[in-house]
Amino acid sequence: MIDQARILIIDENHARAAIIEEGLREAGHVNVSWLNTTHNLLAQIAAIDPEIIVIDLGSPNRDVLEQMFQVSRLVKRPVAMFVDKSDSASMRDAMLAGVSAYVVDGLKKERVQPILEMCVQRFQVFSELQDELDSARAALSDRKLIDRAKGLLMAAKSLSEPDAYALMRKAAMNEKRRISDIAADILKNEKAFK
Amino acid sequence: MKRTPMKTLRIGFIPLVDAAIAIAAVECDFAEREDLKIELVREVSWANIRDKLASEIFDAAHMLAPLAVATSLGIGHLKAPLAVPFGLNANGNCITVSSSLYRLIEDVLGHAPVGPVESASAMRIITERRKQMGAPPLSFGVVFPFSIHAILIRHWLELGGVDIENCVQFVVVPPPFMVENLSSGVIEGYCVGEPWNSRAVENGVGCILVFGSDLNRFAPDKVLAMRESLTRENTGAVGKLLRAYKAAALWCGDPANRGNLAQILSKPEYLNVAPKTVLNALNGTLPVNRTENRRDANFLTLGDALVNYPDPRRASWLYAQIRRSRGEAVTAAEERAAAAVYRPDLYEAALGAGPDLAELDPVALNFGASMPEPAGR
Repeated sequence: MIDQARILIIDENHARAAIIEEGLREAGHVNVSWLNTTHNLLAQIAAIDPEIIVIDLGSPNRDVLEQMFQVSRLVKRPVAMFVDKSDSASMRDAMLAGVSAYVVDGLKKERVQPILEMCVQRFQVFSELQDELDSARAALSDRKLIDRAKGLLMAAKSLSEPDAYALMRKAAMNEKRRISDIAADILKNEKAFK
Repeated sequence: MKRTPMKTLRIGFIPLVDAAIAIAAVECDFAEREDLKIELVREVSWANIRDKLASEIFDAAHMLAPLAVATSLGIGHLKAPLAVPFGLNANGNCITVSSSLYRLIEDVLGHAPVGPVESASAMRIITERRKQMGAPPLSFGVVFPFSIHAILIRHWLELGGVDIENCVQFVVVPPPFMVENLSSGVIEGYCVGEPWNSRAVENGVGCILVFGSDLNRFAPDKVLAMRESLTRENTGAVGKLLRAYKAAALWCGDPANRGNLAQILSKPEYLNVAPKTVLNALNGTLPVNRTENRRDANFLTLGDALVNYPDPRRASWLYAQIRRSRGEAVTAAEERAAAAVYRPDLYEAALGAGPDLAELDPVALNFGASMPEPAGR
């Protein structure tokens, strides 16, 4: 199904915007644009003349856009925040996902709802990917810490690698802390081992 | 005695000096003493604060007083019932203009402007000349359409008889972007809190013309706003929160604590600026141009019974200013609805009787005859 509604995504995060745009296109929305900059934002919005605007909540420029939608003669038709009064959970889901939507006056709820749902879902997918990436990065840096501390212990106390690791593990269990925290302490006190 | 565990209140704030009471209530254990758990959530826009209160993601928030009134009445993008049981601060803002506009004002007057009436009179002449030349209206930045900043800058221009509707336009600019927009010429001036005024002076791109406290000793800025449903669901938590905020307000209002308060607010998770910058705002000592510093003990008022007490007349007055700034009529029914947003009943239930109130609210009184009285009473 092809839908001609002009949709504008305003998001500083290029990767996320791409994921949303892809989702919308797959769903048959052919008029999707993306803006990431506030430079001359009003003129750019006027040129696109969007019917649905999806904004990332992380941007302080949301306040700027709200006022533009209300007062500017450049934006041809009145623009209102999309709030589904019959379904308060949907606004909550959108806020928690980090997205809000504005629509031009007169656009039917039935047309807007699936588009917003798609955006909310893609925002959620993106933040899950982000979380996974963050925890992978944290795990990697933990491993580096542990390896360096292990090396230090091996040299300072003439231990084998398994023994050095076992020593840190024991300390972590005794102190009820993570091995990476023990490793960080060892590295902080590096001089004491030399 | 065994205490029943309480739900954690989630409270949103914008990283500004006037979030002091909301932050100190948590950091200085005033909430803990009330056995109340608070999760503070930093936000980036007033629209986010409004929407997260409306969708009950937040229980309460640090909010622009006029926005709390507008949101409850459905003026703007959203309608959601809010309750305001406590005022967080009066003033703390300045009107700053670009260096070139400042020089124009000096040229018109023949000397440096003294006081808001004089600078505003010069603004009338400057804006009229621009209009005659066919120049576009002068742009001024405000932090949100529904804000004391928008009210103050209008009031200042009216003191000089400026034709606001035809010669001036207001644009919303987030505070951290004010200085940049001033130096690039997108706006010629703005009204905002600190440090965004002294920053313009220090960067040599602007001069501070007026302190908000010059225009009104009690200009209401931020309030504690809560979702109205919380006041019915959990009166216990509301009472604890108000007692914690009152204790925090007294602590923040004591000049002896300013050094400590500046240290707390400057932390990365709150304002993330130098403690000295925060301290200057708390002390009301600011550079106003390249050569002069100015001090006003009333620059920012945090702990004061008249500021903290939610006087419903103040809500009516804010409502009248909102409608007026949009060129719309006030109605008696809406005015009553606006007054009902401020909740002295909640304040008094938690903290006892409020302050002795003057016959007229000092806010309306200090703005004088140029500001309209609300319609029906």
